[in-house]
Amino acid sequence: MVTVRLENVTKRFGKVVAVDNANLEIKDKEFMALLGPSGSGKSTLLYLIAGIYKPTQGRIYFDDMDVTELPPKERNIGLVFQNWALYPHMKVFDNIAFPLELKKESKEEIKKKVTEVAKMLKIDHLLERYPYQLSGGQQQRVAIARALVKEPGVLLLDEPLSNLDALLRMNVRAELKRLQKELGITAIYVTHDQAEALAMADKIAVIREGEILQVGTPDDVYAKPWCKFVGGFLGNPPMNFVESTVIRESGELLIGESRIPAPPKYAELLKKFDVSKVLLGFRPHDAEVIELKPNMPDPPMLVGEVFAAEPLGRETIVTVVLDDETYVKVFASKEQKFDVRDKVGIVLDLEKALLFDKKTELVLERAFEKKEFS
Amino acid sequence: MKKYSNLFQLSFFLTPALVIIIVFYLLPLVLTVYMSFTPIRNWNTERYLSQFIGSYNYYRIYHMVKYDPIFRQVMINTIIFVLITLIVNVFGGLLISLATYFINEKSSSTLRLVWLLPRMSPIAVYSLVWYYFFHGSEIGTLNSLLLKLGIIDKPIVLGQGVIPWGPWSIIVFINGLVGVSFGMIVFSSALSHIPRELVIAARVDGATNWSISRKILIPMIRWHILYVFTWQLLSLITSYAHTFLLIEWGLVNRDYGTTLSLYVFLTAFGRGEQDQGLAAAAATILAIIGTVLGFLTLKILKFERMIAKPRGDI
Ligand SMILES: Nc1ncnc2c1ncn2[C@@H]1O[C@H](COP(=O)(O)OP(=O)(O)OP(=O)(O)O)[C@@H](O)[C@H]1O
Ligand SMILES: [Mg+2]
Repeated sequence: MVTVRLENVTKRFGKVVAVDNANLEIKDKEFMALLGPSGSGKSTLLYLIAGIYKPTQGRIYFDDMDVTELPPKERNIGLVFQNWALYPHMKVFDNIAFPLELKKESKEEIKKKVTEVAKMLKIDHLLERYPYQLSGGQQQRVAIARALVKEPGVLLLDEPLSNLDALLRMNVRAELKRLQKELGITAIYVTHDQAEALAMADKIAVIREGEILQVGTPDDVYAKPWCKFVGGFLGNPPMNFVESTVIRESGELLIGESRIPAPPKYAELLKKFDVSKVLLGFRPHDAEVIELKPNMPDPPMLVGEVFAAEPLGRETIVTVVLDDETYVKVFASKEQKFDVRDKVGIVLDLEKALLFDKKTELVLERAFEKKEFS
Repeated sequence: MKKYSNLFQLSFFLTPALVIIIVFYLLPLVLTVYMSFTPIRNWNTERYLSQFIGSYNYYRIYHMVKYDPIFRQVMINTIIFVLITLIVNVFGGLLISLATYFINEKSSSTLRLVWLLPRMSPIAVYSLVWYYFFHGSEIGTLNSLLLKLGIIDKPIVLGQGVIPWGPWSIIVFINGLVGVSFGMIVFSSALSHIPRELVIAARVDGATNWSISRKILIPMIRWHILYVFTWQLLSLITSYAHTFLLIEWGLVNRDYGTTLSLYVFLTAFGRGEQDQGLAAAAATILAIIGTVLGFLTLKILKFERMIAKPRGDI
């Protein structure tokens, strides 16, 4: 129903830059996750879109209308808070009806709409209760119902699931995603939980210290992070980073004592540009741990010893400490058995491995593009 | 053994409080009730304190209520004073705390501080300020202001001339100003504990300050309002210090400014004939009225609390 667009939006609180020159487009019916650590400015960005804060600089558009100066109530948005912000002295019905009462809608109209939205969220049997008589999951539904009852153009959610326990969170996550698609509503969803963002969103915007670092589909952001921070923030466990020296002549990387070929897609770049120190990044799933047998012809790999092995049921996370004291985590199949201090090798899937510039921490192709590298 | 040491610990911590309550509260109360059954006057304890005259003093009060115009006026004064000052206190405190809630933090704390001044300044100093403000000649601030503005052409003697609302409005104004800060502090603190998101959510839904106050903030601090109401009610019934000074200094008319608690004080400690027995009887009645009112509001408080059952079985 609504496309939301931010143009060079900056928000300062005194000296604190909470949002730094943000450019972002959320398409109609899209589910956008704003993902970042605590204090990165996610809520501020959401409140800017809601109109609770006015940007220090920049403009915000809903479709083609400039809403920068519009107060929240004229933006037709639904807002769901982390603590749900239900009015404790009102019954569930009155909580949901509150936005409609402010619009001075008729009693019958209000009753009809509240019942409808309550049915949709399966809370129609709770309408006569007070919030404190509800479980966390039920309160959360009431909060969503209150946001949806006025049929907003955009649904804004500020970490709505973080007060729920892990199991419930998984269920509600799926329901919320389905609901959003069924209603075909534009949704902007703030979270610091990367799994939530990956699972629910059509697009993810990763934010750090007020700066939007990368926007893309979950697949894209996961597989092709633009910088070390994004790679390290997504995935559980996150991407591994290993310092390495480039040997230009052979197109190899030197990591401690081991030499491995540079990922093929960087061969050209490494020849063209003179860069000596890089970070090799790879996901725990994009590598294999093998036991080192004496006198075995070495395939090109990283070597180290097992620090810990944590079986997860289906597979095992093996933490390996490399020669240079770097710790990396790699998934191994549950058939493989490892003991602490076993000498092991790590063979990378070089197609998926990435190289980052050591100084700027940008992925190499972007560092070269921006001509920012060491 | 354990029980004993617990008991010892308990008494160790409770004793100071108990001593204070007994010495400064229970003992005077018992003494007052006792004195109300004696004909004690002019503090002649040796002669009167052992005489017992039953409910004679109470009968005198009953008689005064029926026939003594001065005492009847005291009762009317008390009712008017307590009711109007109470409204000023509670609503004034509520209004200020709501107003400061909606303006930004920095200026609201200074604003709140200003309202604390009447409470922080010594009673005599504070009363003197208003004595000069309401003074019935050209030196009175109010009069000189009105004269300069040409609204009046000769000074109004508010406290002695404009009967009865002149003296009433002065004592209500001065005591109201002192009491406002109490409600303001309690309400402001209660408001600051309401999650900010509730207000933001309402704003997003299009609520004005007025509807946020009426539908969310005030219902959420209703216990605090009831508490302040009770507290102020009880303290207004018993407070007389400011009024006493203003009457002594001649600013406020004695007949239309004296309230029951001041009457008790003047009867016991005033100039001329002192009648402690009568004063004690009036004080006892005052204490009973206060206790009943206090219990009544507490009952309402408890009752309402019980309607909103907490989750769980505790
Ligand atoms: N009203 C405010 N006044 C001053 N500084 C603020 C205000 N709101 C936020 N900030 C600052 O702006 C930065 C971003 O805050 P914000 O609440 O947007 O972070 P967040 O990403 O939502 O964090 P969290 O995950 O903890 O909710 C923080 O440094 C915060 O201290
Ligand atoms: Mg936040």
